[in-house]
Amino acid sequence: MTRNEFWGHTRRLVSYAVLCAVTFLVCFPLVWAVSTSLKPKSEIFSTPPTLVPHTVTLENYKALITGRPQYFQSGDQQVTSGTTPAQFFMRWFVNSMIVTLGSTLISIVISTLAAYSLTRFRYWGRTVVPYFSLLGYMVPSIIFVFPLFLVMVQLDLTDSLLSLVLGYVCITLPFCMWLMWAFMRSIPIEIEEAALIDGASRLQVFWQVVLPTALPGIIAAAIFSMIVSWNDYLFGRVFLNSLDNLTLTVGVMLFFEGTHVDWGLLMAASVLMTVPMAILFMALQRHLVAGFGAGAVKG
Amino acid sequence: MRPSYTLSDRTVGLLFIAPFVTAALFFMIYPVAEAIRMAFYSYNPLRPELSTFVGLANFEYIFRDPLFWDSFWQATVWTFLSIVFQTVFGVGIAMLLHQALAGMAIFRGLLLFPYIVPTVVIALIWRWIFNPEIGVVNHALQGAGLINEPIYWLSTPSMAMASTIMLNVWKYMPFVVICVLARLQTVPLELYDAAKVDGAGIVRRFLDVTLPQLKEVLIVVIVFRTIWTFNKFEEIYLLTKGGPGTSTFNLAVYSFEQSIANLRLGVGAATGVVMMVMLSLGSIIYLRVSGFGEDERAS
Amino acid sequence: MDVKLERINKNFGAVQVLKDIDLVFPSRKFVTLLGPSGCGKTTLLRMIAGLEPVTAGAIRFGDRVINELAPRDRNIAMVFQSYALYPQMTVRRNLGYGLRVRKTPQAEMDAAVERVAGILEISHLLDRKPGQLSGGQRQRVALGRAMVRQPDIFLMDEPLSNLDAKLRVTMRAELRRFHLDLGATTIYVTHDQLEAMTMSDMIAVMHGGIVQQFGSPGDVYSRPANLFVAGFIGSPPMNFVTGAVAASNGQAAFKSPDFTLELANGSAGGAQAREVVLGVRPQDLTLVQNPETAPVRGRVWVVELLGSEKLVEVMLGDRRRLTVQVRAETPVSVDDEVGVGFDPQRIHLFDAKSGIALRS
Repeated sequence: MTRNEFWGHTRRLVSYAVLCAVTFLVCFPLVWAVSTSLKPKSEIFSTPPTLVPHTVTLENYKALITGRPQYFQSGDQQVTSGTTPAQFFMRWFVNSMIVTLGSTLISIVISTLAAYSLTRFRYWGRTVVPYFSLLGYMVPSIIFVFPLFLVMVQLDLTDSLLSLVLGYVCITLPFCMWLMWAFMRSIPIEIEEAALIDGASRLQVFWQVVLPTALPGIIAAAIFSMIVSWNDYLFGRVFLNSLDNLTLTVGVMLFFEGTHVDWGLLMAASVLMTVPMAILFMALQRHLVAGFGAGAVKG
Repeated sequence: MRPSYTLSDRTVGLLFIAPFVTAALFFMIYPVAEAIRMAFYSYNPLRPELSTFVGLANFEYIFRDPLFWDSFWQATVWTFLSIVFQTVFGVGIAMLLHQALAGMAIFRGLLLFPYIVPTVVIALIWRWIFNPEIGVVNHALQGAGLINEPIYWLSTPSMAMASTIMLNVWKYMPFVVICVLARLQTVPLELYDAAKVDGAGIVRRFLDVTLPQLKEVLIVVIVFRTIWTFNKFEEIYLLTKGGPGTSTFNLAVYSFEQSIANLRLGVGAATGVVMMVMLSLGSIIYLRVSGFGEDERAS
Repeated sequence: MDVKLERINKNFGAVQVLKDIDLVFPSRKFVTLLGPSGCGKTTLLRMIAGLEPVTAGAIRFGDRVINELAPRDRNIAMVFQSYALYPQMTVRRNLGYGLRVRKTPQAEMDAAVERVAGILEISHLLDRKPGQLSGGQRQRVALGRAMVRQPDIFLMDEPLSNLDAKLRVTMRAELRRFHLDLGATTIYVTHDQLEAMTMSDMIAVMHGGIVQQFGSPGDVYSRPANLFVAGFIGSPPMNFVTGAVAASNGQAAFKSPDFTLELANGSAGGAQAREVVLGVRPQDLTLVQNPETAPVRGRVWVVELLGSEKLVEVMLGDRRRLTVQVRAETPVSVDDEVGVGFDPQRIHLFDAKSGIALRS
């Protein structure tokens, strides 16, 4: 082994070691949550704690998915006697899905159309809108959540999933707009001109040429939009109040309101809540990174 | 001779932007304008008919409120420490990931994962692993002999602050990693070769080649993250509710508590306006350093 | 179909990029718009395509004014510099796109695509996507997409500029051959004078939003209308010497600080005593064996070998140089004292102020 090879190997080993350590630290909380969720109640509090459960049980997941009340002790006024938040879990899950997909769809449609218009046609204000939109993206939700709530009151939409869909459109649209604008701008206009000369109408150009080309941008924007909507707590907390209508984030926080906290159940709920985003993330990681490049930081 | 269903470019342009303009007017501009208006009114959501114009009274109130200033300084400390750790770790991990090692894609995926985990989930996991009696962190620290007494992570002021910072760093470090990594991948390899030929060692290469190339992206990331972190609500509220006492209040939590708990929406809105003013200053800096708009003028 | 441009003007905001362009592109001819970047040639092409609105003036296809006609209704085809292939479609779909949006029957469309693919020798690539093709192959697909519809007019915007030098030479010949076979009116934009010279029936040299000269390749080369055309066309570029024309004993002569040259009768075109610029191509200069008798003398500053030819830069004095092109065998080396010979028939005189060629 030459001196150079030796150093090369050593460097690689050290790199791997540091990388593994960092990855372990970053992943540990999640691993621990999964581990806890799979333990029987007795093992959760065992000393010393075990990373790999001695006995693996799916009881916690079963309880959440079937909605069968376990041994949750209700101490909260919002929870009527005999019911536990666990019974609502699947309902909240579906609510979150509806709200997330609904708001994402609306945001994507609106922002894609607008971005195309802004990058391809000349009219007053077309250069200002994207920057204005970026500023809108930076305004923290806490500032407009209450006025928006009052709008919902006027529209008689409070405590409805629709109100939340509209609320999430507000927080995701500025970002989707900015991202789609940046993306549309990077699509060479020659391709559209070629299609125009080939005889396509403007709508055909948009549908057959622009949309397929813009797909990576649309996917990136959709991922961001879904993450934001799925993960939001504030809007759900302010807009919703009946147990049936809650989203996962708001509902799961209710698990805490009781006097006794069932950590196993809570961790199982956390894991289930993360799974849709994890699937999304794994399937579309490439696009997520691309979106960061286009939207968050220029160049 | 043109088929009648063919829309003119102008019509398409206006048609495509119309939904965005409508959405922006009703759900973005109006709520923000309303938030500003509310800052000058005494507004109780239970008795909206009694709302009266109070001029600057809400602002006077918050500027005299010691809790407002506590929140401000705590937010500053929280933001500063979060950003420092995020940046240092983020750059470090990005450098580690920017190597041609086998299995790098897996590490990259795992390290970016926290970004998509819902804040609610992170907060719950944090409460679980940092639980003073049964949490795994204290177990581990005691087992390693680093501490004798359990640390009350979330119920002593300084430790609660440290916990929220850890949560924030853990969750948003991937953002820094992705941005830095994207930039690192565009650094021309010739620069490193040139530095090697000139006799620069690994440290000098980092200082003289890598860091100057990263400067721009780091400034943008830091300003961007500062604006965001300063106004974060969920990361603090879900973990500590601002407590113990008010030791982890920031302006967003202050505004939320004034609006929800005290039903003083005017005061909450005034706080929001103060946050927006600071945000605008931050945004101006952001636009400056990132060079947005300059290429627009050139083209 | 011939294309007529009548007093075409184009403004971008306050900037006027095209000024009163009058041009006729004769039917079935290959006409090139040649000029440096920013001269407005691409804008002009895009206006003919209908991609850019006309500020003032008329564009006619045949007798019909088509200013307001949408690109799709002009029956034109265009080859873009970046090729502009639809990235998500296969080559087959790319080629057939123009027919599909016009609702051509499937069988007819397939036949047209196969035919064009056969001509361009890209039949084996039909099921690939543009991303999997080399630059030359993409170029052929772009060309095929234009050919498949059998348009009245071909528009080409620097179609060869993204190819490597060797491929460019091959494609040049092929483009010319296709034009002869297809016989459609072709308008070709380039900044490469070699492309313009080798392929065109007519060349319109453009600069500063104005057509400087419109004529056959031979014409613009041997009878440049002004200083710009003279300097732009020809490689290596023409030598220019500033001086004045004076008459003595009824014989006109060109006088410059370095030399005096007797002019052929009438070539000064009555330019007496005016500031003029003398232009002469390096190919039209010779090296004279005995410098003492030559009217122009200097010292060899540098010699560049091009293969069969040599470029000799002769320093006249005070950093004024003449480039002379000679056969490679010519014995000459750096720092030699040489004489330069002129052929009075092969010099060009231009008015120094207006730049316009002085002709008898």
